[in-house]
Amino acid sequence: MNAFTTVAEFRSALRTWLDDHDLSPGPDHSLDAQVAQLGRVRRELYDAGWMRYGWPAEVGGLAGPAVFRAVLGEEVATRGLAEPGIYSMVEVLTPTMISYARPELAAEMVPLLLGGREQWCQGFSEPGSGSDLASLTTRAVPHGDTWEISGQKVWTSLAQYATRCVLLTRTAPGHDGITAFFVDMDTPGITVRPLRTMHGVDEFAEVFFDDVVVPADRMLGRPGDGWRLAMDLLPHERSTCFWHRIAHLYTRLDRLLDETDERNETDDAALGAAYLALHTVRCRSHATQRRLAEGARLGPETSVDKVLLATAEQQLFDTVRDLLPGVLELTDTPWRSEYLYAKAATIYGGTAEIQRNIIARRLLDLGRE
Amino acid sequence: MDPAEVELLAETLRKTMTAASGPALDAALAELGWPELLAEYPEVAIPTVFRLLGETGAHAPLLNDVVLHAAGRPQGGAPELPYAGGRWVVWERGADGGPGGVLDDELPLRTVPTGNPVPLAAGRRALGWWLAGTGRAMLSLARTHVLDRVQFGRPLASFQAVRHRLAETLVALDGAEAALVAADDPFGSLLAKAAAGQAALTAARHCQQVLGGVGFTAEHSLNRHVRRALVLDGLLGSSRELTREAGARLRAEGSAPRLVQL
Repeated sequence: MNAFTTVAEFRSALRTWLDDHDLSPGPDHSLDAQVAQLGRVRRELYDAGWMRYGWPAEVGGLAGPAVFRAVLGEEVATRGLAEPGIYSMVEVLTPTMISYARPELAAEMVPLLLGGREQWCQGFSEPGSGSDLASLTTRAVPHGDTWEISGQKVWTSLAQYATRCVLLTRTAPGHDGITAFFVDMDTPGITVRPLRTMHGVDEFAEVFFDDVVVPADRMLGRPGDGWRLAMDLLPHERSTCFWHRIAHLYTRLDRLLDETDERNETDDAALGAAYLALHTVRCRSHATQRRLAEGARLGPETSVDKVLLATAEQQLFDTVRDLLPGVLELTDTPWRSEYLYAKAATIYGGTAEIQRNIIARRLLDLGRE
Repeated sequence: MDPAEVELLAETLRKTMTAASGPALDAALAELGWPELLAEYPEVAIPTVFRLLGETGAHAPLLNDVVLHAAGRPQGGAPELPYAGGRWVVWERGADGGPGGVLDDELPLRTVPTGNPVPLAAGRRALGWWLAGTGRAMLSLARTHVLDRVQFGRPLASFQAVRHRLAETLVALDGAEAALVAADDPFGSLLAKAAAGQAALTAARHCQQVLGGVGFTAEHSLNRHVRRALVLDGLLGSSRELTREAGARLRAEGSAPRLVQL
């Protein structure tokens, strides 16, 4: 495979390859099928090299700028090859491993994730710790060369499919007392129970840890680095992942245009408003990608991207419901699940209220509440 | 122009706009080389100058120059400009506004029965930057007020309901500016003007609310910015009209254009 010098070259070669290699999903829309499809897409893209661009050679990558990953994810989302939410999980898990895992561990494990051989999950939220993540109570206690972990996680995406988990635990009081581990999900004492959600896809799970023994060399970073690890994830989540999700939402607006009456101009205002919100967040995310490429350190200003995206997503699906009256209420359509799932956009990844708190405190400098 | 030169230019412009407005500012900017700047570096001139008009609350008939420059016509005139609702206006040169006409009575806008079509994209970008700057000015006034004003023994800024309104304002303005930066064709300029108009109106709503009683007085400057935002939003198409036009284009094309690429 050639080394690419520009984004345009990369995109064009990628598109040619994707045109020649049909990775379209089959007719089964169950979560099992979606996860299997995700594994297939990653495997094929990894084996052909595409999935390795934008990652360092130390973890099996082919180097090149990170923006290649945004371009790849945009193509995957635009062609509907994999559900973008679960596809994008590599964007937070891989940088975490690169920054915090022992180099040998990262080198051994990351190719398994990128190559679609394994799914991983992220054990962060707990029943008592949602917005207030730093109050988490899952305990890790040292015993010689091992740590013993007990507690409960919730909202853990794909836990029932995952081979590994990036897990936050409590090892001491306060923000400095949070410690992360890379845990094998088949370790005795781990129980996974998928959650039923209102959109009908059991993507999230509760995970119970009962005296789970983890080797000390599976610690990510040092004791007390867990909070910093969690904060370091955010810029990744809000740059490349967002670009993927925005591409996905454009496909849904296209689908809505397909299904609305092209002679009916009464819908123009609503269509225009939904599009304007999407265009605005695309422009914002584009600027964020550019800053990332210039080596900027992303920070609290990505809360603006997050609010724009969540707002645009909900506006789009509200528009779908308005313009296709009765469709998602009365017929068996993918719109129903997607409409309901959009309700979570202002909750997951930090609620809209938490984002506004961050904007007020850190960007507007309004002092403490 | 490199970033340091742009910074220096902005500093000079800010001083000039703080010292003068209307015909006096028009003359001062001509002396500073505005026509040459617009001709040679439109991509710097338009964002810098118009955003600063908004931030400082000054005004000058520079939109005429942007429209005439885009039309390839000589600068210095005052073409008819389309306004919301199918109306037409002329932005008078060398005149002051006055009571009784336009909602923002500082602006020398005069309605005319009809006009000839003019190129719109560059003018829409200019107005978009002006609206964004006006929004920033309102946000700055509101921010100062909520930090200073104490009720129930605490600054207003410590109340979450107040903080979230100002956070929403910043989100709208940052989004609009991203759309303005990315606007490099007529449709992108239409969208950017729509986003900026909407953002300025959002800023007006939230800032007016957190400024409470004082923001409703004529002696506080908020009302000048609110009036300006309302009047500028309608010029070369209101955010409402432009949004509808974008929707019509999507419907006609059957797909949503992806305007910005990595």
